[in-house]
Amino acid sequence: MRKTDEIMATLTRVADDPNAYAENWKRAHEGKVIGVFPMNFPSELVHAAGALPVVVQESRAPITLGRSLLYEYYCGYTRSLTDQAATNQFDVFDAFFLVDHCVALLGAVDAMRFELPNKPIFLAQYTASMDEAWTPPEIRKKVESLRSRLAELCGATISDGALADSIRKFNRNRQWLRRVYDLRRSGRIGITARQMQVLVKSSMVMDIDEHNASLAELVANLELEQAGGSALVRLHLSGHFCHAPPAELLDMIEECGAVVVDDDLFTGFRYISTDVVEFGDPVDALTQWYFDRNTNVPCATRAQKTVDWETYLVNSLEKSGAEGVIILMAKFCEPHMLYYPELRKELIRKEIPHLLIETEHEGLPIESLRTRVEALLEGMRRAAFASATPA
Amino acid sequence: MSLIAEPLKSHLSARPSEGLSHRLSSTKSGGKLIADYWDRLFTARERGATVVWYNGAALNPIFQAAGIEWCHGEAFGARLAAMHHEEPAQKMGEEYGYINELCSYARTTLGCAVLTKRASLSEAGVSLAGADQDTPASRLPAPDFFVNAYAGCSTGQQWDEISYRLFNKQLPFFKVSYPLLWGNKPDAGYLRGEEWEDASKYVANQLYKLIEFIEAQTGRKLNWDVLRESMHYIKRASQLRLEAMALCRAKPAPATFWDWIASIAPINFLPGNQALVDYFAGVKAEIEQRLLDGVTALPNERYRLAFDGIMNWNKVGWLANKFAQNNAAVLVGRYTHNSFWQEPQLIDEDNPILGMAQHYLLCPFNHSAKVLGELMLKDCAGYAIDGVVFHATRTCRSASNGQMVMAKMAQRAGIQTMFFEGDVADAAFYKDAVLESRLEAMLETIDVRRR
Repeated sequence: MRKTDEIMATLTRVADDPNAYAENWKRAHEGKVIGVFPMNFPSELVHAAGALPVVVQESRAPITLGRSLLYEYYCGYTRSLTDQAATNQFDVFDAFFLVDHCVALLGAVDAMRFELPNKPIFLAQYTASMDEAWTPPEIRKKVESLRSRLAELCGATISDGALADSIRKFNRNRQWLRRVYDLRRSGRIGITARQMQVLVKSSMVMDIDEHNASLAELVANLELEQAGGSALVRLHLSGHFCHAPPAELLDMIEECGAVVVDDDLFTGFRYISTDVVEFGDPVDALTQWYFDRNTNVPCATRAQKTVDWETYLVNSLEKSGAEGVIILMAKFCEPHMLYYPELRKELIRKEIPHLLIETEHEGLPIESLRTRVEALLEGMRRAAFASATPA
Repeated sequence: MSLIAEPLKSHLSARPSEGLSHRLSSTKSGGKLIADYWDRLFTARERGATVVWYNGAALNPIFQAAGIEWCHGEAFGARLAAMHHEEPAQKMGEEYGYINELCSYARTTLGCAVLTKRASLSEAGVSLAGADQDTPASRLPAPDFFVNAYAGCSTGQQWDEISYRLFNKQLPFFKVSYPLLWGNKPDAGYLRGEEWEDASKYVANQLYKLIEFIEAQTGRKLNWDVLRESMHYIKRASQLRLEAMALCRAKPAPATFWDWIASIAPINFLPGNQALVDYFAGVKAEIEQRLLDGVTALPNERYRLAFDGIMNWNKVGWLANKFAQNNAAVLVGRYTHNSFWQEPQLIDEDNPILGMAQHYLLCPFNHSAKVLGELMLKDCAGYAIDGVVFHATRTCRSASNGQMVMAKMAQRAGIQTMFFEGDVADAAFYKDAVLESRLEAMLETIDVRRR
């Protein structure tokens, strides 16, 4: 069995260069590579069509030619998409699919259509309002349309059996990753936020069988670990939709004397929170998954009266023992900007220390952010000391 | 021969000051209609009326037929910005936690909501200092329920989700969802294809559900006769508006885009009635009279431009003068000419729901860039346009989507383009020097190409 470091190194290489992995996969399997966009796409459908689903990642390359397709006041992820399209970074993809309705994402992908006129780009727009009785049948229609278009594109029949098999494999993957989350919350393992990001990000881009094999070995190793107790401040990282926050930011937060014990990041727990039901009609199951995910980890991009992100967040802190929250917001992310005051209000009400950090594609003023994080942690330590000291 | 009423004649005799646009006088009556509308809405609570806050599509004929009073969020945000009264609401939104890169329409009207809910928010521990309770932003009557119907912009739906939460999730809330007219299939296009037909039915079905919801809120049936009558007037007003717009293809033009900007509010949310028809009949008559008299919008029309993007409401008069000073007649725009009941032939007055649904889908921000570009090129040909001005609207991704693609399409067609930075309702993002230099550069290039 491989050692943990060895597995992490392999997964890190994939997470750092998903397109290179996809090119190798394509050569080895002679199959199609399908780019899918966050945050609600059911990758199981692509897998069941015999293709490799890859959640398209932000590139860390500076935006150059993409500037002629999208304004600078779009989030880093969407600007990176158009830039990757304009600089021929998407050659490996045979087609792109998306279901999300984010105005910035749709604008970016529409611009990609102009830039890549020969690349099929299919939108099956999921209704974002979850409350109405007519939404589930509409989502089901969209799932069917995805199935039909993918089958046509891949020259394959997507049978119920193949879809059920894909669902099982993706569920297994999510379950392995959730096990790592459990171990992290319990303090039994000393996995860093950067490492956790690698695990989730690599699961977004790798062949599911290969990733499951890696996770099986990794989790077996981790189960044997017994990290000692930590005096570090326990933090929850929240937000950062669609793409991963810069790893150097995660490193800095931990260097300040914190340990990240949980998150609701998209490239994190949000992505792997919910399994697809494994019995019954698989299309029904994938339809239900869309609703279940938002119930389990509410998202500001959905409109649902019956769930609250802030309630979820506060409950998560109770479960993980996190003492404070750092909210990571991709600059120009409108749903997050709209919802942030609701989170803030609840965190204030519950007297939970928190800090907002906006991230930008072009880079971060890490040292000034370090000062802010240190101030947050110092305040938390002082408050803990004061409450532990008899009056 | 005189085609217009006596009171307008005195306005027509006035000449524009040097270099400035000769704006239509008839639009002033629209200003009064709008002011009266808002003043009446502000007293809705005192009159015991039911009030709905809504965003997005022009659902007002349905509200009119339901006998309730309506507040269109973006319209109020635009009005505050146009009157330079937006700051207190935006300040209140900022104190509550909204970042200034967020849609300024949303920030402004959510700021109004925070003002309305200030007392209870303070009790919840949110510090909100310095709000002026006497500002127009504080005058909105609190809603009885919300309706969201925002096409082409995910933020629009999320904004009302937050309004609902600001009112402690205690008010009824109905959402109409729209698909973006993306065009997956080869038969897809403007007003055509399977996707268009499916989307039309999908939205129409939701409108019937909306009517059921409103009936449940009011406890009375919708008056379908009032709805049909309202749509009759709106259809007629729309026809007059389009006929009047078409008259402005004349060279030099008798009226400009800025006159159509002044006419947005009436067609967007005023009640469908005879007064609305009279307004657009008056506008059309004035333009016809100008054509007869040889009166032009600009004294020296030299350049004919199109304007793409949503309006910069803080700067309407400023922009109108800026272009006029350069002898540039802005004649056509996506936000004026491809919006607001712009396909009246779709409206079946006896059975209006499907046509209404289709217009809601035809929101100018709910198309693919390719379709937007095609519509723009058609307008450019119809109005003999020399150049397209793109308003890069800082906090409106919805209006910004597709613009760079459209610019490339225009350039390929041999039409000059320029961009300037601004915003719908936040004056801080407007850069006058940028507009000035880029406009001069574009006009110079047009001159060079003419030689």
